[in-house]
Amino acid sequence: MEIANITINGQPVSAQVGSTILQAARQAGIDIPTLCDHPALIPIGACRICLVEVTGQRTLITACTFPITEGMVVQTESPQVVMARKLILDLLFSERNHFCPFCEASGNCELQNLGYRYGVDHWLYSTFTKAFPIDATHKHLFMEHNRCILCGRCERACSEIVANHTLGLRNRGNASMIHCDASLPWGESTCISCGTCLQVCPTGAISDKRSAFMGRDVQTESTKTTCNRCSIGCGMEVVTRAGNVLRIKSDWDAEMNGGRLCEYGRFDPLYDPRDRITSPLLRRKGRLEPVSWDEALQSVADRVGAAQGQEIGVLTSSNSTNEALYLLNKLFCQELGAKNVGLLNSVAPKLFDQPRGLLADIVAGDVIMVVGADPVKDQPVASFFVKRSVDKGARLIVVDDGENGLAPFAYMNLRIADIGRAIEIAHRAAQPIVLYGIGASEAAVKSLKALQGKARFVTLEPGVNTFAAVTFGFNNGFKPSAVKVLYASLGEQDWSGGDMLKAINKGAFVVVQASFASPLTEKADVVLPTAIWSERAGSLTNTEGRVQKVNKAVEPRGGAKPDWEILSLLAEKLGRKLGASLDEIAALAVQEIKYKENQR
Amino acid sequence: MTKVKIATDWLAGCAGCHMSLLDIDERIVNLLESVEITSSPITDLKHPPKDGVTVGILEGAICNTHNIEVAKMMRERCQILIALGDCATFGNVPAMRNFAGTEEALKRAYLDTESVVGGLIPDSPELGKPLDMVTGIDKVVNVDLFIPGCPPSADAIFFALSELLAGRMPVFPPQYFKYD
Repeated sequence: MEIANITINGQPVSAQVGSTILQAARQAGIDIPTLCDHPALIPIGACRICLVEVTGQRTLITACTFPITEGMVVQTESPQVVMARKLILDLLFSERNHFCPFCEASGNCELQNLGYRYGVDHWLYSTFTKAFPIDATHKHLFMEHNRCILCGRCERACSEIVANHTLGLRNRGNASMIHCDASLPWGESTCISCGTCLQVCPTGAISDKRSAFMGRDVQTESTKTTCNRCSIGCGMEVVTRAGNVLRIKSDWDAEMNGGRLCEYGRFDPLYDPRDRITSPLLRRKGRLEPVSWDEALQSVADRVGAAQGQEIGVLTSSNSTNEALYLLNKLFCQELGAKNVGLLNSVAPKLFDQPRGLLADIVAGDVIMVVGADPVKDQPVASFFVKRSVDKGARLIVVDDGENGLAPFAYMNLRIADIGRAIEIAHRAAQPIVLYGIGASEAAVKSLKALQGKARFVTLEPGVNTFAAVTFGFNNGFKPSAVKVLYASLGEQDWSGGDMLKAINKGAFVVVQASFASPLTEKADVVLPTAIWSERAGSLTNTEGRVQKVNKAVEPRGGAKPDWEILSLLAEKLGRKLGASLDEIAALAVQEIKYKENQR
Repeated sequence: MTKVKIATDWLAGCAGCHMSLLDIDERIVNLLESVEITSSPITDLKHPPKDGVTVGILEGAICNTHNIEVAKMMRERCQILIALGDCATFGNVPAMRNFAGTEEALKRAYLDTESVVGGLIPDSPELGKPLDMVTGIDKVVNVDLFIPGCPPSADAIFFALSELLAGRMPVFPPQYFKYD
């Protein structure tokens, strides 16, 4: 690594050759103001606010795009620089509607912060003369062009981070504006509602409809956690105020997603229309009635305790945390001898022995095969990686029967039976990547063996915590007819068992751990209200086998409790001590997952 | 010692900045030992005296010809003119009208409002004529000191007056400098 030595404001700074002045300054803790720059985006030097003086250069230059060279002497706050920045701010402020008091972003605005920093107490120029329309056609967002400073961050995020290319810049001069698919209303465009533009917008030009004007950063709290909408487990931040969830932001530092989130993760959890169950319910004289936790758990313990191992059935959704799955397995299978256990979603086929591929590998591939999986529908963030790779020139081959969201981006679409052709192409590639999911047939898996050692294989598990559920042995064929006592851990998931309901014995005692009312809770004898994503702590294992922490952002609604806690309390009622604190159970669960994984 | 004369007036504003001025609270008693408020919208005398004042304070934006007259009169009669608040410095809320256009705004307010029957747009010669563009007062007269804020805090106003009394042009520390 070659190092260049430069001087910034008289301070010697050493940084890697090829880094920009801005990067070198940031490393040395020297603050250069920016607007259009964003760490996750390629710098374009559009806003000019990062202008610095470099000895020997004819004019002021943009620190975000200018690479350092040995011996460079930089001034970041010289009178000339400050004068130029004030002029730029004056121009930016006076171009459109940048009146702070009635702006959603006031208090979180990067333009406003710069106004404060450089003491902009009035505007030299008359204010804007051209009013732009407001686009509020989008489901979750609105775009206020009059607050836009044309930094292009949203447009670049749409292309560079998400590879969706919906947003763009059109026109010239003061008619310039952000557009969606050239001329469509946002709500009718190809936007996939990932919300990345919202997160990078430095001003109030893009706002979230649900949480607009509900709290500035200083008035809110933020909790880092892991998304539980699919098996990727993106890092996200839950923004709360006074115990209410305002919005969800993606976590730029998260290893899985690096700032990406999709509609499922960012918006859907905030608009859940389903009825919450907030109190334990016990069936009496044919009706479910609210009872205390103690009473509900006691009745469960009485029936479960009296049942034989082979009479007990356990069902879980992949929404359960590692801790809950560990306790389900420990309590029912190991302590009580239950063998009839099941998982409420299907599982990706098991491949031959090969090192597990990572989602991050996708961007390194030159040929990407997607076999029997539709990440656009099921794991959108994985599809962003794929589309990004395609942007960079990788060839995408979709091998799937039926519709696939990636098909329009593919260089070749094949049926599963024709997988051989894809494998031939992958063989000639430098670094083929295979993404596969539940749709990969047995024959397809067999033929993929030809790429063993050559390709990297990335599993796209359906569901959420499917990896852990499989590890704990929950996918071994559940037989509803043999069950006398059924314990179902549904969590937030809808009932997806379909006709299985009919197959369950009429006289069976059904216990359901669930957050929302469903056909299964209607049939239940006891319903135990379960905390949802924002209310629970624990961990989830993603499709890569990576254990990621889930943190509690708000208190559970009503009497709901986290899934693991319910099981831990039940175990206590049954006289089995399986760990008392979350930390203790989490450590045991992770240990068990690692152990069983090695045995698999 | 003769007292320093101050006159205030408001233009297209909401009086909030004057409320903030009053929020100086008991400090105003001390202030009045060295300051005389000759005229203001909240005292009996409304117009700055002909023989002039040292400090003139204007709240509100310029949105009609009457505002221009008031601003010009204040400028002529004071030595130091302060633009108080976001409307006077930038235009702020009254400038929202610029989005729709003055004509459209008048139509919406006086003719199209749901509760209006047979409405008329006021056009008495006694009234100022609305301008096409709402602006801060610095687009009409020279301003010596800007105090942004919606409203500026009482502390910011007190700080500005104290500094002026001490013979210094105020330079606001960050806690007094805000737009909203």
